[in-house]
Amino acid sequence: MDVLNVEYMLGLVPVLLRYLPLTLQLAGIGMVLALILACLFAVVRVLRIPVLNQLTIVFISFFRGTPLLVQLFLFYYGLPQLFSALTVIDGITATIMGLTMHFSAYMAESIRAAIVGVDRSQTEAALSIGMTNGQLMRRVVLPQATRVALPTLMNYFIDMIKATSLAFTLGVTELMGATQKEAAGSFLYFEAFIVAAIMYWIVVELLSKLQNYLETRLNKAYNR
Amino acid sequence: MKTLLINTVLAISLLAGAPALAQEKPLKVGMSGQYFPFTFVEQDEIKGFEVDIMDALGKEMGRDIQYETANFSGLFGMLQSGRIDTVANQITITDERQKAYIFSEPYVYDGAQVVTKKGNTEVESVEDLKGKTVAVNLGSNFEALLKELPYADQINIKTYESNLERDTALGRVDAFVMDRVSASQIIKEKPLPLELAGPTFSQITNANPFHDTEEGRALRDEVNQALATLREDGTLASISEKWFGTDITQP
Repeated sequence: MDVLNVEYMLGLVPVLLRYLPLTLQLAGIGMVLALILACLFAVVRVLRIPVLNQLTIVFISFFRGTPLLVQLFLFYYGLPQLFSALTVIDGITATIMGLTMHFSAYMAESIRAAIVGVDRSQTEAALSIGMTNGQLMRRVVLPQATRVALPTLMNYFIDMIKATSLAFTLGVTELMGATQKEAAGSFLYFEAFIVAAIMYWIVVELLSKLQNYLETRLNKAYNR
Repeated sequence: MKTLLINTVLAISLLAGAPALAQEKPLKVGMSGQYFPFTFVEQDEIKGFEVDIMDALGKEMGRDIQYETANFSGLFGMLQSGRIDTVANQITITDERQKAYIFSEPYVYDGAQVVTKKGNTEVESVEDLKGKTVAVNLGSNFEALLKELPYADQINIKTYESNLERDTALGRVDAFVMDRVSASQIIKEKPLPLELAGPTFSQITNANPFHDTEEGRALRDEVNQALATLREDGTLASISEKWFGTDITQP
C-alpha cells in the first residue's frame, strides 16, 4: 500500500471547507421548508380534511416511493423539456426543492404518528376543562408530540445533510462535488474522500450533541 | 410559502456567488472537472487541456468563458435544458449526437484504447476482451464502440460515473476503455499500476456540441472561426504539446 499523503490531505482541508457552507445551506433551508410542509401534511392527515387529505396521500406516496436522485433529475432536466421557462430554476433551487419534497413526505408521517400517539385521554381531559381546539393543540398535544418526533426528525435532518451530496449531478459544487473533482485531479481518492467523510462526520456529531441537549430539555417534565 | 421559497433561494444564490450580468454574454461551458488531463481541479482551480482551449477561444472571440461543472451524466441534460451553451469534455462526434446537436470543427483526433492492470497478460489487445469485464464511463462513447465489436455479446460492460481507473488498478474489472491520450497521461502521471494493452481500435474525433437553433448555429460559427485562427497561429498545437507532449489537434 502507498503511504498516506498527509500533506495533501491537510492542503485539501481549507479548500473543501469553502464548500461546507453551501452543503449546510442546502440542508438547512431544505429542513426548514420540509418541516413546514410536513406539519401541514400531518395536520391535513390527522384531521382528514377532505380532498387535501387524498392529495397529500398521493404526494407522500410519490415522494416516498421514488429515489431522490430520480426526483432531482425530473425537476432539473425533465421539467424544462416540457416547459422551457422552467430553465430559470437553477441547480441550487432544484436541489432544495427536491430535498424539501422528498423529506417532507417522510417527516409528515413521523409527525402524524407523534400526534396520533399522544394519549386520547389527554385530549379528553383538556376538552373537559374547556380548552378550545387551538389551546388543546398548542398546550397539550404538540408539546408532547414534539418530544416524540424530535429524534426521528433529527434523523431526517442528518440524512438530508448527506443527501446534498447528490447535488453535483445537477452541477452544484458542494462538499462532495468539490471532493470528487479534487480526487480526479490528484488520483488520491482515499485521502480526498476521507477528508470529506470526516467533515460530514463532525457536522453530524455536532448535530447529535444538539439533539441530546434538546431531548434533555424536552424530557425535563418526565424526570423525577 | 412560494414567495418565501423564491426569496430564500434568491438570497442563497446571491450568497453562493451567482454570476453578475455581464454586458457581453459569456459562453457557458459545461465540463465534469473529473477527467484528467482534459478537465480536473487542483486546489479549487479548474485546469486541463479543455480549459486552456476554451480560454484561448474565449480570448479570440472576446467573450468570457463561464465554466459549469457537473457529473458527466448531467452534462448533456444541462445542454438539453439550455443551462449551458456547449460541453467541453472530450466529446466525441457520433451519429447519435449529431441527430440532436450540431458540432464545431474537431480539435482532438484520437483513438480508443484498452487499459489493464500492470502485469495483466490475459488482455493484450481489444480481441482479448472476450469474456472479460470492461469498465467505461457512463454516457461516454466507448460503450457504443465496444458494442459495435463482432463479439460484443461476450463482453461484460460495466459503466462508471468516475473512478474506473482505480477499480481497474484494484482488479475489480479486467480492463477499461478510454481514449489513448488521456489513458497514456494517467499512466504517466498518476500513481496507479496500469498499462496500455495493444494499439488503439477506433478513430475518434472530439468537438463541442451546440444547440441546433439560430443562436446555437451562430455560436458554433463563432467558435469555428476562432478555432481556425488558433489552429493557424499554432496556439492549438502548443496547448496540446503542453499537456500531452504531442500534437493531438491534427488528424
